[in-house]
Amino acid sequence: MYSDKIEKNGDTLTSTPTVCLGCYNCCGVKVQTAGGKVVDVIGDKEAVNSHGYICAKGRARFLDLYDPSRVLYPMKRGNPEKGIGVDPEWERISWDEALDTITARLAQVRENDPRGLVISHFDLPGYGISKNFGAAFGTTNFHWNRADYCGAAPHWAHLMTNASFNGEIDFEECRYVILWGTQLGHLAETIPLHSAGEMAAARRKGQKLVVIDPFCTNPAAKADQWIPIKPGTDGAMALAMLNIMVNEFGTYDAEFLIKRTNGIYLVQPDGHYLRHADSKKPMVWDQGAAVAKPFDADDISDPALEGIFEIDGVQCQTAFNAFKEHLKQFDAEAAEKITTVPAQIMRDLTREFTEAARIGSTIEVDGHQLPYRPAAIHFKRGSGAHKGGALGSFAIHLLNIMVGNLDVPGGQRGVNPIGPFWAPDTDKDGMIVVAQHIAKYNKPYPPQTPKMPETLDLHELLPASIFTRGLYPMGIDNPEKFGIDYKPEILLIGRTNPMMNSHNAEAMGETLKKFDLQVSFATFIDETAEFADILLPDAHDFERWDLFPANDPYAFIAPGPGQWYWHMRQPSLEGPGETRAWTEVYMDLAERLGILEEFNNLGASNWGISDAHRLDPTKRHTVKDIAERQAKTLIGDDFTFEDVARTSCLISRDKTIEEAYPGAFVEGRVPIYLEHLIDAGAALKPIIDELGIEWDFRPYTPLVRHIQCDEFHHEEGDEYDLLIVNFKVPFQTQSISQQNIWLDEVSRANPYTYNVMMHPSAAARKGLEDGERVLVESHHGKDEGTLKVTEIVHPECLGIPATLGHWARNLHVAAKKGTSFNTLLPPPNVKRIDTLSGQVDTCVRVRVTKLN
Amino acid sequence: MIVDLQKCIGCNACTIACKVEHNTPNDIHYTQVLEYEYGEFPNAGRTFLPALCSHCENPPCVPVCPTRASYTRDDGIVLIDHDRCIGCGACILACPYDQRSRVEDERTVFHDGETVFENNANAAPPKGVAVKCDFCYHRIDQGGVPACVETCPTDARIFGEWDGGAKPLRKMAAQYNAKGLLPEKGTEPNVLYID
Repeated sequence: MYSDKIEKNGDTLTSTPTVCLGCYNCCGVKVQTAGGKVVDVIGDKEAVNSHGYICAKGRARFLDLYDPSRVLYPMKRGNPEKGIGVDPEWERISWDEALDTITARLAQVRENDPRGLVISHFDLPGYGISKNFGAAFGTTNFHWNRADYCGAAPHWAHLMTNASFNGEIDFEECRYVILWGTQLGHLAETIPLHSAGEMAAARRKGQKLVVIDPFCTNPAAKADQWIPIKPGTDGAMALAMLNIMVNEFGTYDAEFLIKRTNGIYLVQPDGHYLRHADSKKPMVWDQGAAVAKPFDADDISDPALEGIFEIDGVQCQTAFNAFKEHLKQFDAEAAEKITTVPAQIMRDLTREFTEAARIGSTIEVDGHQLPYRPAAIHFKRGSGAHKGGALGSFAIHLLNIMVGNLDVPGGQRGVNPIGPFWAPDTDKDGMIVVAQHIAKYNKPYPPQTPKMPETLDLHELLPASIFTRGLYPMGIDNPEKFGIDYKPEILLIGRTNPMMNSHNAEAMGETLKKFDLQVSFATFIDETAEFADILLPDAHDFERWDLFPANDPYAFIAPGPGQWYWHMRQPSLEGPGETRAWTEVYMDLAERLGILEEFNNLGASNWGISDAHRLDPTKRHTVKDIAERQAKTLIGDDFTFEDVARTSCLISRDKTIEEAYPGAFVEGRVPIYLEHLIDAGAALKPIIDELGIEWDFRPYTPLVRHIQCDEFHHEEGDEYDLLIVNFKVPFQTQSISQQNIWLDEVSRANPYTYNVMMHPSAAARKGLEDGERVLVESHHGKDEGTLKVTEIVHPECLGIPATLGHWARNLHVAAKKGTSFNTLLPPPNVKRIDTLSGQVDTCVRVRVTKLN
Repeated sequence: MIVDLQKCIGCNACTIACKVEHNTPNDIHYTQVLEYEYGEFPNAGRTFLPALCSHCENPPCVPVCPTRASYTRDDGIVLIDHDRCIGCGACILACPYDQRSRVEDERTVFHDGETVFENNANAAPPKGVAVKCDFCYHRIDQGGVPACVETCPTDARIFGEWDGGAKPLRKMAAQYNAKGLLPEKGTEPNVLYID
C-alpha cells in the first residue's frame, strides 16, 4: 500500500522490518502499520535472501491477524468426548487457570516419568525454546511434526555428501538443470525468492531445464522438457541412468572420484573395507607401487579407481569397481517397464547431462582455479517420500557425484556446509562428517548405535537416519510393541496440524486421544486444536520476538558466493485479546515447574551466547532479552535494536571462497559405497529380533538399490488402479494458509488447486467427465473431489495438490476446499516406511467413482 | 509494460500484490495469471499468461462510455472515473481482453469481522461501477512502479516508458520481438509480451 493513501486518511505509515513465517524460509519483509493495524507487508530490499521481493503467501497473510476466527483467550474443553465433527464446547478461562492446570499435570508426569510429555511444533525459530524445555523437563519426545514429509530421505542424502541439510543449485553458472520431483526456484522450496530470481534470469540466458515429475508442476510448465514418471520409481530411473553413464558411456569424473569419494577404497568379499591391520584405516591400491596402502598414506603415487586385487590371499576390489559391476543389472529397458519413462529418453538425458557437466573443465574465481561443472540435479520429496526413499534419492544424487559437481561453480550445492562458526569434519576413515551446528539431530554418518527404543519416534531403530518424526504415531499408539515402558500422557502442540498433514484423519484422531491432556497453542482452531483439552491463544509472528538469528543458517542463508546475513524477528504490533507468544509461555511453565535454571543452562550452551553476555540462570528472561544477547555475540557488543530499525537483515561479512565453493576445498570424502550400513544393519538385527517385529533390512546395503513401494503393483481388474501424487502450489503453504481469503480466491481461480487431476484415458475408462464430483477412496481413507480431466498428469496417477480439505468448524474459508491427499494415506507402519531414513511412503492406490 | 513469459512462473504474487494494493472485492482481480494447457501426454504442458489491462493507444473501452467515465490520461494510462461511471457495462463488452469487471458486491475481506479495510483510505470501489487495472497511477505519480511489478519475484514484469525515462523499453521490445495480445483488434496495446 502506498503511503499517499494512508496519509489521505490522516494516519501515518509505520514500517517494521522483520522475517516472514508464512513458510519456513525466513524472507525479509517490512510490515506496514497505520492506525494501529497492519495494512500491508512488502519485501525488504536490504534483505539479502529476498532482495525486496515477496510471494503471494507472504503478501496476503497479514489478513490472518484480523480473521474473525482468531483465538483470543485461553479456553478449556467442555465436552469430554473427542472426535471429528464433535463440538468441543469451549469455555473461556483465565491464563492463570490454564497455566495452573497445565503445570499441575506436568509436575505429576515429570515425577512419574517425564518422557510422558510429547512436544510438537513446526516453528523452526522456536525450536531453541521448545527443545530446551523438553530437555530440562526430562523428555526426549520433542519435535513431533511432519518434517519427514519432505525431507527425512533427501536431507539424509545431502547431509552425507554436501555436509549440509538442504541441497540447491548454482543457478547463475549452471547451464543444465534437472529438477527431480521438486519445485526449487518456483516459490515452493528452499530460499525461494533468491532461487526464483536467479533461476528465471538463467533461463532467459538459455539455461536448459528438465523436470521429472508425474504431474506437470509449475517448474515443469517452464521446462524445456517435462518427463512424466510413475511415482515411487525414481530410484529405478536413476540407477538405469547411472548404468548408462558409467557402463554404456564410460563417462565420469575419475579425478573427483579418486580425490573426493570412497570409490578407491578396497572392499573385501564380505562387503567391508579392507582395513590396515594396526591403524584400521581403509586401504587403497597404489598402482605405482603395486601394493595396498592406507588411504591417507603420503606416498601413494597412483591410487586405483577400478580393479580387483589379491591382497594376502583375499580378493579385494575397489568400491568403485563393485559399484560399477553392481550397476550392470540396471538395464534401461527394464527400468522403462518400471518407470514408464522410455529408455531412449533416459539415454538422451544422461548424455545431455554428462556433456553439459564439462567434466575436467575449470573456471577462475577470485584468482582460484576451481572445477567448473555447469550441470546439476536437485531432488526432494518426490523421490524421498517412498518406501525406498533414502536409497532412491541417493541414486539420483550419485548422478551428481559421478560428474563431480558437488559444491563447485555451476553445480549442485549444499546450503552453506562451511560457515563463520561451523565446518564439516573428516573422520578417521577419511569421510566427510557434517558440522554439528548443521546436523542438529542425529547425523546420518557416522551412524548411531541402535538400541531398544526409548523415544516415541523410534529413532533408536533407525541408526543411520537423521530424524524419524513421522513415526511418532507408531510409538504413541503402541509403545509396548517397541519395548517402550511408559505411555504418552501430555501433548504440547502448536503451529502444526497432524490431523491434516500426516495420514488418515480418523486414525490420527485415535492417536491424539491417547493423551490425557492436549494443550494446543493456536491462532486458529484447526482440526488438531479441536482435540485440545486446553487452548492457548498464540501470537502471530508479526506480534512476537524470536531467538536470533531467526533465519537459522543451517538452511536459510543463500548458498554460494555472497554475504553472511542474519535476521531479527521483531513484533510490529501487540497481539489482540489475551494472545501471547508460545515461546514465552514455555518459559512461564519452566518457571512454574522449577526447571528454569536447567532451561537457562541448556540455553547457555546451545543459544550461542558468549560469556560476556551470559544469562543469569535463575532469572526468567524474555525472548527479546535472549535475542539481544545472541545478537551482541554474533554481530558485536555494540549491537542495539536501532540496528534493526530499517532492515531486519544484519550483514556481518562477505563469504570467503572456501565458504562459497566448499567442494573445491574440503577434504572429507563423499560415499559412493555405503559401507557403514552393513554394520548398522547387523547391529540392529538382534534388537528387531528381540522385539519380534517385522523389519525391512533391504536398505542396509552398501550398494544403492531400488525398493518398490508397497502398493506399486496393480492386479488387472482391480478398481484401485490410480496412484495418487501430491504437489505444492506456489500460493498455499502446507495446511496453514487455506483460511486466507485472498489465497482462497487465487486457488479457486486456478485449475490445478481445488481439483483432482485425471488423464483423459483414465476418465474415459471410468466413464467420468471433467467437472464432475467424485469420491476418491484408498484402502485407508476417502475424500471427495472435483475432477479435472487433463493431459498434464501421468495416466496411471490421480493428482491431488497441496494440503487441502479442511473441516474444522471455525475455518469457514478453508472448509471443504479441495481434496485431502493425506487422509488417503495409512498410519505409518513397517511396510509403509523407509526403514533406513524413516520417511513415510506416500504411494497409495485409489479408486475414483462418480459421487452420487 | 513488457511481460517476460519465459520468466513468469505462475506464482500469482502479482495477483495478491494487486489485491492488497487496491482492496478489490471478492473474485475481482485487476491482474491475475491465466493458465492454458497444450498438447497430448506426454508431450503436453501448461503455460502462464499474466493478464491485465493493456492501456491501449486505441482503447475500445473509452469511446463507448456514455458518461465519459473511461478516459486516457496524458501519459497514456487508461482510467475510470468512478464518480462518473453508471455501471452500464458498455466498456466491459468492448474490452477484447476481458479485463474489466462490474462491482456487484462491494464488500471486501471478512465481511463479518473488523478488518484493516473498515476504516481505510484504500477503500474498495463502490458497488455498480466498472473497475480494472489503473497501472497503479498513484505510485507512478510518486516515481514508483505498479505493485505487481515491484513484487514479481522473477522480474517478469518490466515497467517504464517506451522512449525516455530511466529504462526505455523500446529497445528491449525490439530485441525480443515483443507482441501485444490480439493485434487484429487494432487496439495498439501498451502491455507487450516476450517469449
